[in-house]
Amino acid sequence: MFCYQCEQTYRNADAAGCASARGACGKDESTADLQDLLIHAVKGIGWYAKRARDLGAPDNAAGGFMINALFTTLTNVNFNPARIAALVHEAAKVRDRVKGAYEQAAESQGKPLETPAEPAAFVPAADIDALIAQAQAAAITRGAESVGEDVIGLRALMLYGLKGVAAYAHHARMLGQESAEVYAGIENALDFLASEPTDVGALLTNALALGDLNLKVMELLDAGNTGTFGTPEPTSVRVTPVAGKAILVSGHDMADLAALLEQTAGTGINVYTHGEMLPAHSYPELKKYPHLVGNYGGAWQDQQRDFSEFPGPVLMTSNCIIEPQPSYRQRIFTTGPVGWPGLRHLENHDFSVLIQAARALPGFSADAPEERITIGFGRDAVLGVADTVIGAVKSGAIRHFFLVGGCDGAAPGRNYYTDFVRQTPKDTVVLTLGCAKYRFNREPLGEIGGIPRLLDMGQCNDSYSAIKVAAALAEAFDCELNDLPLSLVLSWFEQKAAAVLLTLLALGIRNIRLGPSLPAFLTPAVLNALVEAFNIQPITTPEADLAAALPNVAA
Amino acid sequence: MGKQHTVELTTRDGHVLSFECHEQESLLVGAERNGITLPAICRGGSCGACRARCTDGGYRASEHSMAALPNDAVERGEVLLCSTFPRTPLRIVVDQDRAAIQAGPIPERTATVAEVHPVGGGVVRLALTLEPDDHGNAAATFEPGQYMELSPPGQGFTRAYSPINTPNWEGRLEFYIRLQPQGKFSGWLRQARPGAPVRVRGPSGSFKLDETSLGARWFVAGGTGLAPILSMLRWMGELQAMQPVRLYFGVHDQSQLFALEELEELRSQLPGLKLETCLWHPGEPWQGFIGTPAEALARDLDAALAQGAKPSIYVCGPPGLVDAVEQLVNPLGLGAKLHAERFLPS
Repeated sequence: MFCYQCEQTYRNADAAGCASARGACGKDESTADLQDLLIHAVKGIGWYAKRARDLGAPDNAAGGFMINALFTTLTNVNFNPARIAALVHEAAKVRDRVKGAYEQAAESQGKPLETPAEPAAFVPAADIDALIAQAQAAAITRGAESVGEDVIGLRALMLYGLKGVAAYAHHARMLGQESAEVYAGIENALDFLASEPTDVGALLTNALALGDLNLKVMELLDAGNTGTFGTPEPTSVRVTPVAGKAILVSGHDMADLAALLEQTAGTGINVYTHGEMLPAHSYPELKKYPHLVGNYGGAWQDQQRDFSEFPGPVLMTSNCIIEPQPSYRQRIFTTGPVGWPGLRHLENHDFSVLIQAARALPGFSADAPEERITIGFGRDAVLGVADTVIGAVKSGAIRHFFLVGGCDGAAPGRNYYTDFVRQTPKDTVVLTLGCAKYRFNREPLGEIGGIPRLLDMGQCNDSYSAIKVAAALAEAFDCELNDLPLSLVLSWFEQKAAAVLLTLLALGIRNIRLGPSLPAFLTPAVLNALVEAFNIQPITTPEADLAAALPNVAA
Repeated sequence: MGKQHTVELTTRDGHVLSFECHEQESLLVGAERNGITLPAICRGGSCGACRARCTDGGYRASEHSMAALPNDAVERGEVLLCSTFPRTPLRIVVDQDRAAIQAGPIPERTATVAEVHPVGGGVVRLALTLEPDDHGNAAATFEPGQYMELSPPGQGFTRAYSPINTPNWEGRLEFYIRLQPQGKFSGWLRQARPGAPVRVRGPSGSFKLDETSLGARWFVAGGTGLAPILSMLRWMGELQAMQPVRLYFGVHDQSQLFALEELEELRSQLPGLKLETCLWHPGEPWQGFIGTPAEALARDLDAALAQGAKPSIYVCGPPGLVDAVEQLVNPLGLGAKLHAERFLPS
């Protein structure tokens, strides 16, 4: 195996990447190799699907398959090699269907058939060992000796960005939001990658095009969330348990949570959110359920402790699962793209077994002392008080905004974000999103003229909301995004963050601080190119980064 | 494994757990060998999830990622449990509460007899219903293949049996028990009525499915050695496992055949299941395989290996059967893929 798609990938002085029998995430060699092969097979679908679409024979169902398949290969999603192997075979069948449509359309229009790129002609071996052997040809580093590390790194940047796009598109699809334009964009990216591109300029352009595409996908997901569950509103959320039977929902999928809330209504079972499900409490159509009682635990990397201590079953709806500990292995369930060998997987929103488990397990015996946090500052909430905010900026009451957000993780260097937020001056406002917020979302930062100094905007995909707010402020101040008194201090872990980063770069946003470490797939040359174009920089120390952000502020 | 050292773990909430750790095993592995399962993700020095602090003692640290444990952290005495090997007795402070660490005594519960039902061949199916434990937990929690120790109160004996069903939330445990003419448990079972109490201690045992194995899984069961294997097969059915699967089930003769209905039902859960029932000394004409299940396995294994397949083999039964399977598969290089459990009738 070779994989360096996440932030915690193995690094030493000479090299980076997980290349042993088991990745840092816990993914074994067979799973990693089969995931490479699945990507290869999906590129093949993309190659045909683009051509079929160009000839007026689009297959959006193939698009749905592709985004699900790509999502299964994100960090901490699916560790079940048997499931990945089955998807490889399914991919070949989908490819054959799209191929048929392409050939028929080409024939009826009198167009000559193009010679398929290698992934489009892929035939999966029937036997599992032979299938794993085929993965060698699909390795991410294939051809490095001839095309060089920069090209491999740029292809990786694109592929990982595409995975993030696919994950958000899958979430949107679960809420009934699909778009032919998005599928076409995904097909274009896959077709480009299938051609084994070597032009550095073209690779960068295509990577930024994915950033544009991701903005559309986040908009789609935003429409799915707000269209289904209403507009997020500032909400006080209990973060300590109450007595009673309990189910914990982790991951990111609001549609799964909604179905579970519906099925548990009136049963006396309480439902808690974990990790990135926290923003659920701010949506009117989810918070209306009185048995959605609170948020439990911390960010994803705390799950082994959180799930061990939780006295009920756990539902993992999307990324980020890590190896289930023996203490809760029997009471964690997966759904959607998630998988772990030997865990029960629930499909089609049938949560009856989960509910049965909640009834059999003890639940909380008593209320814990009440603690609360306030969330739900999406774009409508923030822009609803835009006049106050703009006035505060003009009067100097608010000197600067920081967007501190992204993914959390286990690396000790992530304490930076806690320290950074603690040290922000009292006349500054911190916007946050993603699970990185758990590093500081219980900090008592106070408020400025009635505006809380810490505004939780939601999940990582609610970057869309942050972008909308920034755009509205830029309009109000009649300036460019980069001229706003706003600094972005981001924390990344996996491929959704890669997609969001590409979106920010595609919007031309400069001076982003990125940590806790830079992606291993960004070679020095690629990084230089990004620094030149966007002045993106690694985080240093909270003191130095704050000092660098604040002197330039227009008073 | 060479020298051992005592490692004293202090949890965040002040509990102290201690265990013996060999010099060649990491603190994480040593702790697990002693039933103390600590949070860990990569187990290879990359992720930093198993970071702890060593407050006393000497150790060797294997290679690890700088991001997971930077030099300044090393200077503060921090370690990665997966990459730390003791050289002297150690004192370690971990950042978890005691409750987050899986450990401690094997659970003991009370159950009541729900049903005793003959399934042929002098074997009965004993069904128990677990009472909720002190925390209100009513679930039957075990891994398919593990066993439970059953003690009828006041009888002065304990017997271990593997559940034939799968972990469940109804608190139901089912076992196959061959009635022995002089057996104490059999004697108790003959007069046990629904509602009779039984103490249940478990789960124990490491005869479990290797959930990550992708290749074919072949199961060899002798007599009531079928029990843990039936649980594993039913579990595979529930999980819709995709591995090709075979079961060689052997008894002495027709009079000992049992569980035929359950096996037939299993076919609907695992449509790809190939089932071969083997009689060692059939008293009457028998169309199926004549011989032990180990012999049936031997017949098929050569053909499979010739085609490049390397099935995992799970065997449970009397020691003679397990020995025969071991002697068969070890020379073929399949020893690492063998999972075995011996039992003695009692």
